[in-house]
Amino acid sequence: MPIKVPWLKGVFPALVTPFVKKTEEIDEEAYRRLIQFCLPHVDGVVTSGTTGEFPYLTREEQRRLVEIGVEEANGKPVVAGCGASSTQEALTLVRDAREAGASAALIVTPYFLHPSDKGVFQHYYDIATQVDLPIILYNIPQVMDAYLPRTVVEDLADLPTVIGLKDSSGNLTYTMELLEYAGERIDIFVGHDEVVLPALAGGVSGFILASAQVYPEVWQAVIRLVSEGNITQARLLQRQVQKLSRIFCRYGGGVAVKAALKMMGLDMGPPRRPLKAVGGALIHETQAEIRLELEKLGKIPVEETEFAYPTGPLAERFGDLEITPAIVAEHGMRVGSGVAGQGLDQVQIDLVAGGKDSPLGDAYALQLTYPLHGREALTTILEPALTVRPATLLLPTLPQKNLRQANMIYGPTQSAVARAIVDALETGFIPPSAVEDEVMIALATVHPRALNRHALYQAVYSAATQAIAQAFAG
Amino acid sequence: MGYKTDWFKGIFPALVTPFTPDDRVDEAAYRELIRFVLPHVNGVVPCGTTGEFSYMTMEERRQAIQICLDEVNGRVPVLAGTGCTSTRDTVALTTWAQEAGAAGALVVAPYFLKPSFNEVYDHFRAVDEIGLPMVLYNIPQCAGTHFKWWTAEGMALDFDNSIGIKDSSGDLPFMEAMFEKVSGKVSIFVGHDEVVQPALAAGADGAILASANLIPDIWQKVYQATLAGDIETAQAWQQKVQKLVRIVVRCSSTQAVKEGLRAMGLEMGNSRHPIMPGGGFKREDYEELRLQLEALGKIEQVPVTYDLGGRQVETRLCATPQTPRTISGFVLKVGEGFAGPPFQELAHVDLLIGLKDGPVGRAIERSLAEWGAERGLQLINQRPRTLIVPTVTLRTAKQRRLFAEAAEGVNLAIRASVEDGFLPEGALDDLALIVNAFVHPAASIAKRVAFNNYKATMQAIRKALEGRPTVEELLHEKASARHPFRYAP
Repeated sequence: MPIKVPWLKGVFPALVTPFVKKTEEIDEEAYRRLIQFCLPHVDGVVTSGTTGEFPYLTREEQRRLVEIGVEEANGKPVVAGCGASSTQEALTLVRDAREAGASAALIVTPYFLHPSDKGVFQHYYDIATQVDLPIILYNIPQVMDAYLPRTVVEDLADLPTVIGLKDSSGNLTYTMELLEYAGERIDIFVGHDEVVLPALAGGVSGFILASAQVYPEVWQAVIRLVSEGNITQARLLQRQVQKLSRIFCRYGGGVAVKAALKMMGLDMGPPRRPLKAVGGALIHETQAEIRLELEKLGKIPVEETEFAYPTGPLAERFGDLEITPAIVAEHGMRVGSGVAGQGLDQVQIDLVAGGKDSPLGDAYALQLTYPLHGREALTTILEPALTVRPATLLLPTLPQKNLRQANMIYGPTQSAVARAIVDALETGFIPPSAVEDEVMIALATVHPRALNRHALYQAVYSAATQAIAQAFAG
Repeated sequence: MGYKTDWFKGIFPALVTPFTPDDRVDEAAYRELIRFVLPHVNGVVPCGTTGEFSYMTMEERRQAIQICLDEVNGRVPVLAGTGCTSTRDTVALTTWAQEAGAAGALVVAPYFLKPSFNEVYDHFRAVDEIGLPMVLYNIPQCAGTHFKWWTAEGMALDFDNSIGIKDSSGDLPFMEAMFEKVSGKVSIFVGHDEVVQPALAAGADGAILASANLIPDIWQKVYQATLAGDIETAQAWQQKVQKLVRIVVRCSSTQAVKEGLRAMGLEMGNSRHPIMPGGGFKREDYEELRLQLEALGKIEQVPVTYDLGGRQVETRLCATPQTPRTISGFVLKVGEGFAGPPFQELAHVDLLIGLKDGPVGRAIERSLAEWGAERGLQLINQRPRTLIVPTVTLRTAKQRRLFAEAAEGVNLAIRASVEDGFLPEGALDDLALIVNAFVHPAASIAKRVAFNNYKATMQAIRKALEGRPTVEELLHEKASARHPFRYAP
């Protein structure tokens, strides 16, 4: 008869595997530090799971990770990832795990050659009947390209050593079906960070999560709040970590987790090749987004920055472009300014428009020859291959120190200025003659710590609309 | 038992349905299109998928089929698209088509609500009972319903009026199964433009194609070469049009074909919403489609005058209706180009064209003198005098190496534009170009960086000279524009 084990509940991080740069050897010290970091907020740990890059680890390495886990976990259960494509290899790994002191083995659906339902059943059946170690089934279709069939789970749940199932699909219709057919007999765990709360409300016993080594305390609090019936507060917590959880699940996996940990002072080294620390599944833009989210969560300190919005007579603000008040006057250039938004979303747009054959034409051309180290001018576009007219350059007044800051300029700011210009073409504020004959340069001052793209877009749109109205009204 | 007819073979364009600016079926344009394709085709299909049947009322479909029958006037068979999502409508429209004189009906798998196989079977059986020759139409990428081989086989063999199957899936194993099960008994047509030649070589009887609106003559050559056993010639043509048809098939084919025809001088209007310009068929896809049509000789060269302020230069180039016949304003012209994928190898080019003694020329001389070396500026061409500037400061050896690839792509585009007349020989001593090219710091695939920068620069040169995008285009798309960096991941 199946037995539910009392310890299989709560929060289990799927630990990353730290590697030494260049040699790609396992960094055991870093691993110990990582486990110590999570331990106060977790109910157990999982070694060499998907987040731990198990397909890139040797048998000996996987065994070593379990040993270290047992040494460091202070009596909390260690679940050993024993994923393999062949049954024979999986059996070897599970035997190793048992000898190394693991509490259970987490066994992924056999992958690559896509065995039939019968083959999948037999894989788990052989392990469950040949090794005396509790096993947890593991469904992760996004990497395996196949679901662990529910009917197979239904039968496996009768085996005495099968104690649980981890479902990383994020597909709640599947999770609910498992709870319906096997939930009485085995513990169902959710392994998809984006749907932790709904899965918990639906009846899962716990979580095995990549993000449980970054913010395990959030997940513990969610369990506590749900047990107290405080769904409203639990929702707020889930929502706070929603974007980071999405990034971990969809845009980089273990690599993204390593990037986050590194920002928090826990350097787990690069992933093993062919994965790249950044520039592969985890792109630079997403890495910048991780920093921003960790700042929001208070996991890393926010750098205070001193800056000022431009003040003084409007015509004097274009000195960087070698446009002086005298030139503005002499060539009849149009200038306008707008300010909108509050706090971090406050923006200022200072705009100058003038003839292509005036010094502004020269300034326009010159800006495109001049990578300014963080203040690069860019052509204002509604979207790629859709530049606005009159041709307009957008120039940040503050140096862009990181990609996270640059993302705010190149995304929301640029598209809002573009939209304001095209709307002004439609209303007639910008006359048709300007389309061919003039160019514009917009100086944008955006708070270096701005982080709400939607609010920023609205503020820039409003500021740019004011600036255009002022410039073209007079 | 289905049967094979003599008339259902060869090349059939899936005609686009032209719409007027006030959104009615444009009869005159439709007739013009039919006259354009007719000399090269074995039949025509009004109101197929490319004809936007799913966006037309029953009344409009009858109207379009009627116009088509009238214009064709018996010279080739008209295979009318009569499929609807419900059996009731399909039967009604097919019955009408029979009375109107269509040679046959192209009946799409009932879509959206995904009926089961036996429901699909009974749908076609109801149409079969009308008595009009019927072609079963498999297009899973749109319909969401995929014929299983046993359904297709059953329908082909059981029904009295089945004359063939059109398979647009591009799934050659499915097509081979069809050859195995039903060849000789009904005709098998390929409907996926990317695999026409292999399908014909494997035994398909013909092709119903979106791109046969644009290049009916070439598809006829592929068909004839295959019939004559000249596989090499057929292959060569398929490869020559491969990029063109990939763009058409994968990028909102209805809009792609219409914009291609427009570039060739046949105005068919735009697709009905929600298909729209700059949507599935992106702006950069249009530029590439245009270049492909030019390469195939489908866009005529016309004389164009460049007014360089005091001096005029005559050139000949492949103009579209958007190309001004006199181009002036060479003080400063701005163009943008964008080409991908993949993301990290995409090219984004800001390009300025102007006179050497204007803002562009002055900026080149001054930047070279003052910060050129320090910031990685390179003068890559003298005629026209061309400066390439990295958008992002180059920091590593790898970035410098990849930027050199980008420069190579830019240079190729400039040489190509000299050759195709957009940068006329007579103006090269007067003109200067600044090309500000973005290479992602994490780019890896060197040749892709070069190709994408080639494409982006080709686009940017043409857009700068032709004054595109136009204000009209901007106003049309301002609300729907999707800036890729506006949103959080």
